[in-house]
Amino acid sequence: MGLRSYISLKDVVFSRSGRRIFNGVSMEIPRGKITAIMGPSGTGKTTLLRLIGGQLRPDSGSIMVDGHSVPDLRRKELYSLREKMGMLFQSGALFTDLSVFENVAFPMRVHTKLPEDMIHDIVLMKLEAVGLRGARNLMPSELSGGMIRRVALARSIALDPELIMYDEPFAGQDPIAMGVLVKLIRDLNSSMGLTSVLVSHDVKESLSICHYACIVADGRIIGAGTPAELENHPSEQVQQFLQGHPDGPVPFHYPSLAAAEDFGLAGGVS
Amino acid sequence: MDKIAALGHSGISMVISFGRAGRFLAGVLSGVPRPVTGFPLLMRQLYSVGVLSLAIVVVSGLFIGMVLGLQGYTILSDFGSEAAIGQMIALTLVRELGPVVTALLFAGRAGSALTAEIGLMKATEQLSSMEMMGVDPLRRVIAPRLWAGFIAMPVLAIIFSMVGIWGGMLVGVEWLGVFEGSYWGNMQASVDFRDDVVNGVIKSVVFGFVCAWIAVYQGYDCVPTSAGISSATTKTVVYSSLAVLGLDFVLTAVMFGNF
Repeated sequence: MGLRSYISLKDVVFSRSGRRIFNGVSMEIPRGKITAIMGPSGTGKTTLLRLIGGQLRPDSGSIMVDGHSVPDLRRKELYSLREKMGMLFQSGALFTDLSVFENVAFPMRVHTKLPEDMIHDIVLMKLEAVGLRGARNLMPSELSGGMIRRVALARSIALDPELIMYDEPFAGQDPIAMGVLVKLIRDLNSSMGLTSVLVSHDVKESLSICHYACIVADGRIIGAGTPAELENHPSEQVQQFLQGHPDGPVPFHYPSLAAAEDFGLAGGVS
Repeated sequence: MDKIAALGHSGISMVISFGRAGRFLAGVLSGVPRPVTGFPLLMRQLYSVGVLSLAIVVVSGLFIGMVLGLQGYTILSDFGSEAAIGQMIALTLVRELGPVVTALLFAGRAGSALTAEIGLMKATEQLSSMEMMGVDPLRRVIAPRLWAGFIAMPVLAIIFSMVGIWGGMLVGVEWLGVFEGSYWGNMQASVDFRDDVVNGVIKSVVFGFVCAWIAVYQGYDCVPTSAGISSATTKTVVYSSLAVLGLDFVLTAVMFGNF
């Protein structure tokens, strides 16, 4: 994808607590598109976002974001780059001591010197975009899970970022909240021209809005391409994940001793 | 052999933990202070750790002063020196009990709250989200809390000593009938500003710094689960109390040891 790539990972190796999470992962995330990173739970999808955001450093390999090598950036440069990134955390991560309005205004108060009346108008516009202008005076404890994510989304686009990363945006949401989030992610991408990275294991919702997708498993990428290409992917492991088959290359049973041995029948029934 | 290995392992872990706490402190203190944004944050924390600790400090100071008055009168009257009760109460409070008891109360009241608050912010990804917004949580969240503890502790210790001296007077003078002039006069004659008051304040400054450091570090470094936060809160109170009592001995030996 070359120059059109906003994020480029090459041979990324990452281990934590002695366990190898990524074993030579390479991928290109195109500018201005929605890219879904999918995979079973515990395969390190969120870790991948943290590597892109510079919160973790890889053991080896390169991570380029908008032409900057993230692991090599100095602290100040990294924080400066992050001003161009938005991230929607799985829990929303709203500041519990601030109201909805103040949560959305927070990045602007810290990074800009805009006058108060302009901050007021921008916050209301961002809240309008997520349908929560009327909830501006509520505290996070008064919001439902879906509303928390929408406020967090408004906050993550407060500074009009170039990149937005969604960490499991659909997890634990009811169908209506999920539909709202799908619409918001699609609309924000098309109206603001954002580069969006969506980490999820909700196959149907992710494939319905993404332009590209890749599937991570066993520390590597097992399949990548457009949603149509993935649906016809020859890999059995990819098909098992997409179709949700309970047994296949990823076995239903956790590795264990032979059943006869475990039940004490190895020597025969006496 | 396993026991020796375990001992070595725990020793290495302790050294690593000290190193991490040191690096953490350097990270917090290395930032250039920004008065415009930093001052309101500091004021909010001063209210939270200082003003809200006033009630427990004042009530404890009052009762400790009153107990000192009672005990001091009982002991000193055996020697006919009950007039010295004022100097006994003042020296005890200003040199020792003021800084030490305030620090122990501070660790239990404010230190544990700081740890739990920061730990919960970590568990709910608030610190991570701040980092991803390009805001350094060490400067935005940790530094104001550390400085607030550092500033609030000496003030609380002074208030504790003053209330204690007043409580001692209530019992000694108003109740047991010691002459008021002796109470204040002996105190004035024997309490030295440099040797007693300033040394007491220096102790509380050191305790304030150590208690606040332990509290914010334990919160920031905790395992972000409910069990992890609970364990970190307990560690804050235990480590702070031990550090205060140990440092008190060292500081007392240096200040009053006549080496």
